[in-house]
Amino acid sequence: MTKILVVEDDKNQQELYRQELMDEGYEVDVASDGKEAITKATKDRPDLIVLDISMPGMDGIEAMGKILGTDNRIPIVLNTAYSSYKDNFMTWSADAYVIKSADLTPLKNTIKQVLENVRQQSGK
Amino acid sequence: MGRTTHNMLKDTLAVVLAGGQGERLYPLTKDRAKPAVPFGGVYRIIDFTLSNAVNSGLRRIDVLTQYKSYSLQRHLQLGWNIFNYELGEYLQVIPPQQRMASVWYRGTADALYQNIYILEKERPQWVLILSGDHIYKMDYARMLKYHIDRDSDLTVACIEVTREEASRFGIVHMDEDSRIISFDEKPADPKPIPGRPDAFLGSMGVYVFNTEELVRQVIADSKRSTDHDFGRNILPQMIHNRDVFVYNFAQGSVGNPYWRDIGTIDAYSSASRDLLESNPPFVMDDPAWPIRTYQGQHPPARIVSTHRDPHNCGAAINSLISAGSVINNARVSDSILSPGVVVEDGAEVEGCVIMQGTIVGKGCKLRNTIIDKYVHVPPGMQIGINLEEDSHRFTVTKSGVVVIPKELPFEQGFEVPVSS
Repeated sequence: MTKILVVEDDKNQQELYRQELMDEGYEVDVASDGKEAITKATKDRPDLIVLDISMPGMDGIEAMGKILGTDNRIPIVLNTAYSSYKDNFMTWSADAYVIKSADLTPLKNTIKQVLENVRQQSGK
Repeated sequence: MGRTTHNMLKDTLAVVLAGGQGERLYPLTKDRAKPAVPFGGVYRIIDFTLSNAVNSGLRRIDVLTQYKSYSLQRHLQLGWNIFNYELGEYLQVIPPQQRMASVWYRGTADALYQNIYILEKERPQWVLILSGDHIYKMDYARMLKYHIDRDSDLTVACIEVTREEASRFGIVHMDEDSRIISFDEKPADPKPIPGRPDAFLGSMGVYVFNTEELVRQVIADSKRSTDHDFGRNILPQMIHNRDVFVYNFAQGSVGNPYWRDIGTIDAYSSASRDLLESNPPFVMDDPAWPIRTYQGQHPPARIVSTHRDPHNCGAAINSLISAGSVINNARVSDSILSPGVVVEDGAEVEGCVIMQGTIVGKGCKLRNTIIDKYVHVPPGMQIGINLEEDSHRFTVTKSGVVVIPKELPFEQGFEVPVSS
């Protein structure tokens, strides 16, 4: 089963993502900040990471650099309430950038698309 | 374009890659990074690239260091602390930040990938990528203007080389429009310049990128298993779907199109000899293109002779003698002496490069030898005369250049430790 690591500091949102993504058929784990994300990404090797940027402790941008430093192929979807990070070069390493909204459809579609791209690239 | 030259230069960040290990220059790189290796008496290799940048009107310079950066950093601090930050000018020395990876730079492209944060903070429109180990004079402003006029994503500076030289270069093949269509690393059968079967274009490792394109490319490359090298990996990738053009060094060079990559001891030695020719292919005294460096305070060089007999007098011919050096009843020919070198009574120095503070004892005979800083060569020593004997104690190159490392202690009776 496809494993997704959701990195999100807000407990309610964690639960929402867990539930909704499980309903899509993914195995879901959560981390509450950048540091925990690095630990879980290295240990559990998820197939994709949904990464919030603004979090207490280590933020998503720094965590992404470190995660890619240990595994440069792991797909990352940045999931943030702010569109302003999109122009920041530091976010360009992500496979996709999604603006948070109450409707999780854009996020779910993006996850599908990124996983599909990965499948196609590895199938080459 | 309508863009003034001034804005073009202000919107450009020069990034000097100064992190190479320089293994093939060992032992000159025993205690220093390659760009910090002394050259031409008073300079360090990096001074030529930095002088080019400043003479071209560039005022935003980041030097990316890595291995053994102590002496490089000190040199830049002493000699290149000439920028005014309040006017938007700077030269910053940036050691690896390990923000994106916990490894040393894996290649030239990785050095930029690991420093994307700096590009984000400085947000130049263009990035000029330079190497800290080349000897040449080039007006980068002309290349930048060409890049902008051609609406290029990547422009690669290339020097024309012969068929024999081509096997040592990354060879670029272009169409009639100067668009790059292929790249071959050290090819056995290189493709020539269109219409000129005996001329080939070798990449100089000097690139102009649109910054956003650079960021996209180094990120994409970071996710591939490559050498993370601009020439070998990024360039071949970009020629398929981006506008990549050649810039011929002949158009950008200041004076002769002279360019040398100081990659090996023999290359170092040959470039040093070039400076001593009666009509040198590379001149360092062009007032319109000054080469700057750090120089300490030294008295004038002294050449002393107690004899007037031309066959037996102290003399220096065909040589560069730096301030503070003393040639005392000794003969120096076809050599380069850095500041504070002492050549004592009766010594003969021929075809040598002698670095700062070294003392050549009485009656020594030195030929084709590079002596690093602060070595005291004991009286009567002969080096470079019997290469077989020398090779047991020192580095001796294929072409017969002997290298004495920095501060090597010569013990009595010359029982010196064998250097690998």
